[in-house]
Amino acid sequence: MSAPLLRCEGLQVGYAGRAILPPFSLEVTAGQFWAVIGRNGAGKSTFFKTLLGLLPPVGGRLERAPGLKVAYIAQRMAFDDLYPVTAREVVAMGRARRLWSTPGADPKVEQALARLEVAELADRTFRSLSEGQKQRVLLARMVASEAALAVLDEPTAAMDAIAERAAMALIDQLRRELHMAVLVVSHHLDEPRRRADRALFLDPDCERIVEGTTDQVFADPHFHHRYGDEFSPAEAHDHAHEHAHAHGGSP
Amino acid sequence: MIEAPPTWADLAMALEVFRDPILAGAIAGATLGYLGVFVLLRRMVFVTAALAQASGLGVALAFWLGIHLDLHPWPGTGALIAALAAALALSVDLRRLHLSREGALAGVWLVGSAGAVLVGSRITQDAHDVSAILFGSAVVVQPHELWTIAALGALTLGLGVMGQRALVFTGFDPDGARVQGLPVRWIELGFLAVLTGVVSVTTRALGALPVLAFAVLPGAAGLLAAPRLPLAFPLAAALGAVAGAAGYLAAFVLDLPVGATQAAVALLFVAAAAPVALLRG
Repeated sequence: MSAPLLRCEGLQVGYAGRAILPPFSLEVTAGQFWAVIGRNGAGKSTFFKTLLGLLPPVGGRLERAPGLKVAYIAQRMAFDDLYPVTAREVVAMGRARRLWSTPGADPKVEQALARLEVAELADRTFRSLSEGQKQRVLLARMVASEAALAVLDEPTAAMDAIAERAAMALIDQLRRELHMAVLVVSHHLDEPRRRADRALFLDPDCERIVEGTTDQVFADPHFHHRYGDEFSPAEAHDHAHEHAHAHGGSP
Repeated sequence: MIEAPPTWADLAMALEVFRDPILAGAIAGATLGYLGVFVLLRRMVFVTAALAQASGLGVALAFWLGIHLDLHPWPGTGALIAALAAALALSVDLRRLHLSREGALAGVWLVGSAGAVLVGSRITQDAHDVSAILFGSAVVVQPHELWTIAALGALTLGLGVMGQRALVFTGFDPDGARVQGLPVRWIELGFLAVLTGVVSVTTRALGALPVLAFAVLPGAAGLLAAPRLPLAFPLAAALGAVAGAAGYLAAFVLDLPVGATQAAVALLFVAAAAPVALLRG
């Protein structure tokens, strides 16, 4: 097993020294697909911001692999639409890790645009793109960044079920091809259940954070207490199967 | 007997005298025009207005100290100290006091403008200077002021070009930039410090009104007319330079106040650029 990219030991997240979730421990290794599940206000954003170093931990330990490159795709409203940046410029931001830079074409940017099939959108302003196109451009930025760990905060929030499935399939494909670890938070349960190999269920009313394989988490009594029996492992699988069948996809 | 208005021939004859203020206006226009693109994108228009007014108060206080306490600080130093104090006040997080950023901006702006008028009323022998500070009717720029503006302009444009990509990234997606290791907080503070320095120095030389106009209008014209963001920066700088120089010349020939004429020329650029943006869609 490869060395962890991220290791949390008794980590507590919160604000102003006050933890909003029970302490938890986990290790994220290369190639893993993590689904972070929780209802509104469950602390998902606080959890993410702490992992990303945007918020200090309230307690416990958080270790990153030395030189770890992380890509972060925030919720869609986090981008300032006042900026008339083009899709190419957004992808090039994935290459910006220093304060000073010299202008000029970067082949990694063009490769990422081509890989995500958004090269023809490169000179259009980001704000003029559809939600699906924006998502592809942001994924191209993630690819250009050559990150080992990608954190995506509700990447499919503005999408219908079909678009969500396509987006998650694309994220999964990139994860496999680039052997990167991916953490995805989603309100929807079908696709995380289908794609993720690990899951984390956050619930501030629960005495512990539920972490494990996706099947373990979906079978956990705390998860059932919050979501009911609709998403038990077998039923979730059936549910996903029906969903795929209805839309002509593969389960 | 009614005095005839000056002509272009008069201007040509007196060019030696007017060269420095024209150059100062052009360089200040270019520098503030470039910064103005970021000022607009970062929604800092009223920060700039508050800094300019605070600088005006600082200059007025410098004159007051000279007259009443026989201290003679360089007015530019007064402008810089007052602008830095204003920037510091604006960087305080007022949410704990349940006050909005707009409230703080209005407070600083009011202290600057009311303070300059009050202090100015006590320095009657330099009334013309106080008027110049507030409304930009300065006719003569000292050589050391021109050199200071030129040096600060070169430094600002150099830093801006090298850090442009990071500045755009941190404004467009601050969390994404922070995750990728960019020092977002320091970049924000650095930008505010550069803006404060440029506004305070140019306010002393040109007045608060044209400084605010240069920091907003050429940037707006650049954003409206340029098809892409990287082109908006040089375009805004060029339009700012033209507004600074052409505004001065127009004020001379038409016998109008300099600062207001420079602002009016810059406003014409916005009016011309708006249809371009509408046509582009």
